[in-house]
Amino acid sequence: MTQVRLLDSIFTRLVAWSIAVCIVVVLVLGALVGAKFEQLSTATQEAAVNADVTTLSEAYRDDGVTGLARRINERLAFSGPAGSAPHYLLVDNDGAIITGNLSGWPAGFEVGTEPESIALPNGTRVHARGLLLAEGRLFVGRESSLDQMILNEIGFAFVAGGLFVVFAVGVAGRLTTARLSRRVDRVIQAFQNPDEKRLEQLAKDRNAEDEIGELTRRTSETLNRLNHLVDSQRETTDLIAHEMRTPLMHLDSRILKSLKTAPDDATAQGLSEARSDIRGVITMLESLLDISHSEAHRGDPRGLHPVDLSDLLEHVAEIYEGSAEETGHHFEWDIAPGVTFLGEEMQLTRLVTNLLDNAFKYVPTGGTVILSLAEGPVITVSDTGPGIPPEDRDAIFDRFRRAKGNDGSSGGSGLGLALARAIARRHGLDIRLKPTMRGATFVVGGKKPEDVEPA
Amino acid sequence: MAGGLDILHIEDDSRTASDLQQLVRATGDRITWEANGADGLRRAGIGDFDVIILDRMLPDIDGLTVVKRMRESGIGTPVLMLSALGRTVDRAEGLDAGADDYLAKPFEATELLARLRALHRRAAGHAHSAVIIHGAFECHVKARTAFRGSKHLALSPKEFELFRYLMENAGEVVTREMLLRDVWKMSFDPQTNVVDVNIGRLRRKLEDGFNSPALETIWGTGYRLLDGK
Repeated sequence: MTQVRLLDSIFTRLVAWSIAVCIVVVLVLGALVGAKFEQLSTATQEAAVNADVTTLSEAYRDDGVTGLARRINERLAFSGPAGSAPHYLLVDNDGAIITGNLSGWPAGFEVGTEPESIALPNGTRVHARGLLLAEGRLFVGRESSLDQMILNEIGFAFVAGGLFVVFAVGVAGRLTTARLSRRVDRVIQAFQNPDEKRLEQLAKDRNAEDEIGELTRRTSETLNRLNHLVDSQRETTDLIAHEMRTPLMHLDSRILKSLKTAPDDATAQGLSEARSDIRGVITMLESLLDISHSEAHRGDPRGLHPVDLSDLLEHVAEIYEGSAEETGHHFEWDIAPGVTFLGEEMQLTRLVTNLLDNAFKYVPTGGTVILSLAEGPVITVSDTGPGIPPEDRDAIFDRFRRAKGNDGSSGGSGLGLALARAIARRHGLDIRLKPTMRGATFVVGGKKPEDVEPA
Repeated sequence: MAGGLDILHIEDDSRTASDLQQLVRATGDRITWEANGADGLRRAGIGDFDVIILDRMLPDIDGLTVVKRMRESGIGTPVLMLSALGRTVDRAEGLDAGADDYLAKPFEATELLARLRALHRRAAGHAHSAVIIHGAFECHVKARTAFRGSKHLALSPKEFELFRYLMENAGEVVTREMLLRDVWKMSFDPQTNVVDVNIGRLRRKLEDGFNSPALETIWGTGYRLLDGK
C-alpha cells in the first residue's frame, strides 16, 4: 500500500497556503490601517497646535505678555482628557520661565512655522511649535499618547482578528479537504485493490457533480470494466478447459478400450502413444491457462500470503538433489535463511522448478547447476551449459520458444519459461537473463536494473 | 477391502458416469450416480457411503458449494473432487472448500481407484497406528525405524517417509502423482525424476540381502509394496 504522506498531500498544502495567504493579508491590512490612522492623527494634532498658536498669538497681540500668560494659565487649569493634555511654556529672552507646565525649554527645539513631533524631557511625545515674541519665546505642544494608545488598540484588534481568521481558515480548510481527501482516497484505494467492497465505497461518490465526482465516475466505470474483463477471461479459460478436457477424456477412454482389444503390439504401441499425446495437449493447455491466469492477476494482492521462501527453496533443492546425482549433474545451492515474501506457494514452487528443469535440460552431464536465494528476494538459477545466444535472449521468455536440449530433442512444451515469467510478474517481480561469460544465469527479483552489468 | 467400496458419484456428464460404472463394476465396488448437485447433496445425507466422487462443474450448484454444504451439515465422508479445471489454483480452491483430494480430467482409471482406496483407508483410520505391519515389513512410526523380517533397514529421513507412505497404502497401488503430492508436497509434476530416483534408492535398501522383490512397478501408473516374504 502506497499512502500519500501527510506533508506531501495537496490538501495539507492547500490549507497551509490558505493560512499563509490569510496571515499576509491581515498583516498588510493592519499596516495600511495603522499608517492611515497615524497620518490622520498627526494632521489632527498639528491642526490643534496651530489653532492654539493662533489663539495665543491673538491674546498676545491684544494684551501683551501678561495677557498671554493669563490665557496660558487659564488653559492649563482646564485639564483636558488624559493623553491629549496641552503643554505650554513661556520664557523671557534670558530663558527664565514666566509661566507653563514644562520644567524648561526642550533642548534643541527651535521656533518655526510648522509643528513637529518631539519628545519632552520626561519622555512624553508631543506635537509642538515654538513662537518668537518680542519679550521671549512661547512653546505650544499637544500630547499624542492617546492616539498612540488607540493605534495600539487597533494593532491588537488586528492581531486578535488575524489569529481568529487563521484559525477559522485552518479549521474550515481542514474539514473541507478532509472530505475531499477521503473522496480521493477512495479512488486511490479502488485502484490499489479493485474488489467489490472498494467499488461499492466508490459508488457513494458517484452523484457529486464536481471534478472529483467526475473522476470517481470514470474510475468506477473503468475498474468495473476491467473487473468484468478479468472475470470473463477467467470464465472463458475455464470454459475452454472444461469443453476441451471432457471430450479429450472421452477420446482417452475410447483409446483405452481399443487398447484392451488391440490385435497386435504395433497397434497397441500406436494407441499408447496417442494417449500420451493427449496428456501432452492437456499439459500445454494447463500451462497456457496458468500463464493467462497469472497475467490477469498481475499486481493483484488477492490470494497472496506470506511464504517462507527459504523453506520453499530448501524443499525444492532437496527434491532435485537426488535426481541431479542420478543424471550426473553437480547441483549446488546457497539459500539465505528466513527470507519471506508475499506470494502463492504453489506458483512460486512452479517458478523455481521450471527454471531448474530448464537448466537441467540444457546442461550436459558433468555440468553444474546452482540455485541461490538472497534477501530482496532475489532467486538465481545459473548453469554451466551452452548458454543462450545473445540474439535469443529476449525471445526465450516468449510462448512456444525452445532450443534443442542436451539430448538433441526439443522436449518440453516451450511454455516453461513463459510461465515462469508470468508467475514472477504476477508477484510484482521480473525475470531476467543475466549476461555471463558462460552458461545461463536467470535472475528473479524486483524490477530494479541492479543486475544489469556489462557483459 | 472386503466387499468393495460404496461410492457416490455426483456428475452431470453421463458418459463419464457410465465409464466409471463399468470401471468400478470390474473391481467389485458399488457406485450410485446422481446427475446434479441438489440430488447429490440429498443422497449424501441419507446414504452411507465410503467415498464421494464430486464433479466440480455441475449444472445447478457448483461442486465447491456442494462440498462446503456437506461439511456444514456434518457429512464427513471423504470427497474426491473430479474436475476439468486442473490448474494449481483450481486444486487449491477445491481442497480449501473441504474436498480431501482433487483429480483433473482426463484421469487414469488406476489413478482414480488408487486414490479412492487411499482416501477410504485414511478416513477409516488405518493410517494412524504407531506400528504398521505389512507382510514381512514393519514400520515404527514414532521411533522412525523400519524392518524387513528381523533386518533393520537404515533409511534416510526422506526414504523413511516414502516407506511409511507405501506401508500405509500397503497392498495397494500408489501413483506417481500421489507420491508427489503426499511425500513431496507438489501439486504438479516437475520434469525431474524425483520419484523414480527415490523409489530406486528405497528399493535397493529394501531388497538388499533378500531374494524376493519388495516393490512392484505398475508401468505408467505407480508402485505397490509387496509383502516381502
